Amino acid sequence: MTTSERYRRASDVRYRILDGEAVVVRQRAAEVLGLDAAGSRILDLLDGERPLANVAATLAEEYEGDRETIAREVEAFVAELAAAGVVEPVEEGE
Amino acid sequence: MSEHSARIERFWRDNQLFSALVELTYRCNLDCFFCYNDVGLAGTPLAFERYGELLEEMARLGVLHLTLSGGEPLAHPDFFRIGARARELGYVVRVKSNGHALRGALARRLRDEVDPYLIEVSLHGAVAATHDRQTRVPGSFERLLANLEGLRELGLRFQINSTLTAWNEAEFEGMYAIADRFAVRLQIDPEVTPRDDGSREPLSIAASREGLRRLFEFEAERSRTYAASQGGGAAREPAIVRQGDSIAPPSPRANGSGKFCGAGSSNVCIDPYGNVYPCVQWRRPVGNLHESTLAEIWATSRGLADVRELERQIARRLAGEESSLLGFCPGQAEIVTGDAAAIYPAAVVRRELLREVNRESAKRALLPVIRG
Repeated sequence: MTTSERYRRASDVRYRILDGEAVVVRQRAAEVLGLDAAGSRILDLLDGERPLANVAATLAEEYEGDRETIAREVEAFVAELAAAGVVEPVEEGE
Repeated sequence: MSEHSARIERFWRDNQLFSALVELTYRCNLDCFFCYNDVGLAGTPLAFERYGELLEEMARLGVLHLTLSGGEPLAHPDFFRIGARARELGYVVRVKSNGHALRGALARRLRDEVDPYLIEVSLHGAVAATHDRQTRVPGSFERLLANLEGLRELGLRFQINSTLTAWNEAEFEGMYAIADRFAVRLQIDPEVTPRDDGSREPLSIAASREGLRRLFEFEAERSRTYAASQGGGAAREPAIVRQGDSIAPPSPRANGSGKFCGAGSSNVCIDPYGNVYPCVQWRRPVGNLHESTLAEIWATSRGLADVRELERQIARRLAGEESSLLGFCPGQAEIVTGDAAAIYPAAVVRRELLREVNRESAKRALLPVIRG
């Protein structure tokens, strides 16, 4: 995973952010996941347009903390979301 | 309790709207004898533009689960425009359909344009004579089975809904066999309900006590068999493969929300004329979308405030009543007895039968398993 990569929510993912927490449904798996406030914000930003560096920079403006640490945590979290089938990478040229 | 069940209970407690059932039309291409819709209801149907506003408003309010129902929702002239807009707005869409029109190009459009999480279709018997007697449309049974095959080939997720009646109570094993053939869930409602206009005509085909007992025994046996096949785990059949929390809301019973269920607290129902109800089964109008926005109704309706208070009273009243066995529904109670908190006869029968079945199940669980 590199900071220039872009990710988008999988096509079967539906979600709402309620009281800062995302309720995420993966339709194909009939599965519900909950994300905390920071996770919800990241999911919301993964629109397939923004590179991960941009997502991390936005988080760094909104949350206190070292920018490099936040960038590493964003990458790790996006990797988790991808492994869970919630997001998927956008191919070059898409 | 799962994390999601705890979340739903918070929604009930905090009046966080999360699920909506929208009846788009009462038109239908079948003519079911026990249909509960009030087809004589008068009013001005909601226009497509109003549905567009409503979908945007409900998304802002936090509604994630949207059920498009009817009548037959596919009979609404704007069904696909409404469904596609719901998809764009990120709803988990369910479609409650009789399945009669779900084939060919229309089924493909449903998959490609609406992408529903689930289609709930209705089955009324295990053979054509019984199903067609209910729908009053010859050939509807064979057509439904062919359509289900088509849905499966298209990769559309569906489940089968049914209601136990005097006409089909000798056939539920066959109905389960049909569901098993498609590897989908069959949900049988054991109670026929009066129509929404109060007519009790449908009750004339309510299942017999013996038919109910046989159904409960059969379902208990299926649960035992499934639990055994899973190494004694959860005694519940999988609807669809589940890896995380189930999408299904918690069963109505005493819970941390202080309310009996989510009617009017987390769920809402809207009829084709904009009337708003706490739930599809609790037909007490609490506002109309021709006069107010849903947000205004949700925040200020005195009718909804009454419903929420009733929910608290019912939770307290049924706390020691084995309410999960009663299968109690406040809407059903109100239409049958006039009192949403009154335990109605069908619920008492259900509790008695389930107690007996559970006692028998407990005895069998103590017997040694003999393997041939």
